[in-house]
Amino acid sequence: MSTFHEGASSSQPYKDPTPLPASIPKVKEVGATSAPLKSAAFFFGAYCKEYNEDFMLCKGENRDPAHCLKEGRRVTRCATDLITKMRENCLQQFEEHWQCLELNNQEYAPCRKPERVLNKCMFEKLACFSLAYAGLVKTIPGTPAGQTPVHEVEKPFFGRMQK
Amino acid sequence: MPVPWEALIPFGLVTVMFGTAGTLLNVSKRAQNEGKAPRYHIDSWEGMMMDRDRRLTGHARKQSDNPTAPDGFETSSAWYSEPAQ
Repeated sequence: MSTFHEGASSSQPYKDPTPLPASIPKVKEVGATSAPLKSAAFFFGAYCKEYNEDFMLCKGENRDPAHCLKEGRRVTRCATDLITKMRENCLQQFEEHWQCLELNNQEYAPCRKPERVLNKCMFEKLACFSLAYAGLVKTIPGTPAGQTPVHEVEKPFFGRMQK
Repeated sequence: MPVPWEALIPFGLVTVMFGTAGTLLNVSKRAQNEGKAPRYHIDSWEGMMMDRDRRLTGHARKQSDNPTAPDGFETSSAWYSEPAQ
């Protein structure tokens, strides 16, 4: 007997029937979920700046996915490399920050204390990898002149959502 | 003069009922969200990231900081078979 099963209710996870052809080089995808990625976002921007900009400019030329596969592979490899380095060097601060983010709707504002600790650890360690990263400090471009950047405000006016 | 303590029973009942209902609701929401408060103000980006988390870890709220994805992650995305918009 065959019973009708709706497409959304499958017992097996979805498997793409048309995977990439074997001619395209394989790269291991980034395994970090959303909270660790959000925590690593500024370091990703600093560490992988050239590859990110390459990819974005390539996408600006042509939105077709096949056009930017090579630049995309480079970005993925850089991201995997960064997460590995963060885990080797600042694992405890990293975990504290992204666990704080998870408890607060993944908003940065309630988690400034662990973020400052993580920034201090990471910028010290990033300087060890290459002199190009020495003296790095987190900046938010577009902050109006004379105003403290939002991540450096000591006593923010708005607190977290009431639990 | 005796204090009319019976008059306070309805207040106690209402407090207990509100408290129980609220607590049970909170416990139910936390049980559905891996012990954390539920996410709110979820936009399409966040929805996409939570779907990616589900593909990586099996649950939309479970997090992992592995550098590399488990096997089968590359082909588990239904995005490519969704109708073009």
